[in-house]
Amino acid sequence: MRRGKWAAGIVTVLALAGVALGDGTVRKDLRFKVGKHPMISVNNQYGPITVKAGAAHQVVVTAILHSDKVELDQSKSGNRIGLVSHLLPGADQTSGVVEYEIQVPADANVSLQSDTGPIHVEKLRGDVTIEGSNAPISVLDGSDGHVHVKTLDGAVTLTNIRNGHVEIVSMGGDVTMSSVSGPLVKVNSNSGKIQYDGDFGAEGEYDFSSHTGNIEAVAPAYASIDVLARSSNGAVQSDFSLEPKHTPFVAAVGSAFHGTLNKAASSVSLFSFSGRIHLKKRQN
Amino acid sequence: MRYRGKRVVMNCFEFERVLPDYLEGEHTAEQQAHLNSCSSCSDLLADLNFISSEARLLQDFVDPSPAVWNALEIQLRREGLIRDAAVREVAPARSSLADLFRRRRAAWLVPVAAALMIAGGLKLYRPARAGDTNPVARVAPASASPDSNSVSNSVSNEDQEMLSTVAARFPSQQARYRQNLDQANSYIRDAEQSIRNDPNDVYSQELLISAYEQKQMLYDLAVNRNGGQ
Repeated sequence: MRRGKWAAGIVTVLALAGVALGDGTVRKDLRFKVGKHPMISVNNQYGPITVKAGAAHQVVVTAILHSDKVELDQSKSGNRIGLVSHLLPGADQTSGVVEYEIQVPADANVSLQSDTGPIHVEKLRGDVTIEGSNAPISVLDGSDGHVHVKTLDGAVTLTNIRNGHVEIVSMGGDVTMSSVSGPLVKVNSNSGKIQYDGDFGAEGEYDFSSHTGNIEAVAPAYASIDVLARSSNGAVQSDFSLEPKHTPFVAAVGSAFHGTLNKAASSVSLFSFSGRIHLKKRQN
Repeated sequence: MRYRGKRVVMNCFEFERVLPDYLEGEHTAEQQAHLNSCSSCSDLLADLNFISSEARLLQDFVDPSPAVWNALEIQLRREGLIRDAAVREVAPARSSLADLFRRRRAAWLVPVAAALMIAGGLKLYRPARAGDTNPVARVAPASASPDSNSVSNSVSNEDQEMLSTVAARFPSQQARYRQNLDQANSYIRDAEQSIRNDPNDVYSQELLISAYEQKQMLYDLAVNRNGGQ
């Protein structure tokens, strides 16, 4: 490897300081130099993680440890940075809390894990992978990357995600999307509600499915979509006058529809077992 | 690496890096000290050794067809468990268990997830009979969700093992996982009932796949985290 690239690839810790804040909490500031597309992973069982786009080629971490029952373990390997809140014996949901505020290059890939959260990611163009138990999760102003979310009961909010490859699996957490578009937007929920407000982009595939959760999609009149909706045991309703299409199943009125709007550029599937499905027309 | 007094103490990340060597039989006092003090890493090592021993027994089984492996690979790619770069990285040879672990802490989840997907695939695979030209039609409405929810929420041995893992590592999360597991199983039962009513219903098959994805996620979340411990 050339020396320049080697040098750029090395992650160096420029500062590592622990400052006792007097109330039992300790603040740690870390700064890493990184190359292009660094990978940052954070595993924090208890406490919030906020990641925002900052300056290129550096990762700035501020961590506030709520007690001496938890330690911050860091690792660096090439362009990868790992941060782990290491719980010591006796740590619980209060004493084990660590608050992270992290600035990363906009092209960074991040992998975040927290049971309680909240987890917030903003203005990234890299891949974002988030796993939570009941942590509220929000991703704002992302573009061009993958957004993969797995959660049990945490609410998921995606806002202004462009050209994204979005895949969300949620058991009970509601999933709310506003202005989210891309080649693939897939939401798989059990009892959580799925709400979408956007124009479904162009030539994307939008698959929303649930077991008992309701599905509501709000689209403007100019949306270009081919919509297939069906609920086995819930009401299905559309505010649009769609051009009907043949369905691959025999469906009772009010339990399914299949039709197109405008040039039908994007494919939209709204499937539920017993949740209600409503395709709404945006009023403005 | 943390320093306590003048003694150097290895942390979990550092142990992970040397775990492949450890599995090959190279032990140091430092590693052993970490294992003795860290239940998370020692549990993980026990799991890996168990899988390794069980995997040897699988050699007696006939290999599934290439189509099964292809389907698994597609699914794993979609889940982000493997990516092109990672594949190129290990292309020269099949990665060993140790190599796999080097790249992903919870690599042992993969066979579990694979087993789940194979089970789901077998349940879904109901080929139409040759010459069957009947139009697709719904026979009867699927059973209502409340009925299926009233079915006894008994769990399989695999589910019980997963719940035991959660109970051992994250006791406070056990009830939450049990509840979500019941919901995922309820979803699976409902989708299966719909498919029994109409085996050609692609829509219900999609729901069944979604239900299995949820169950797979539960397994993933249960084991693919160290909880910072």
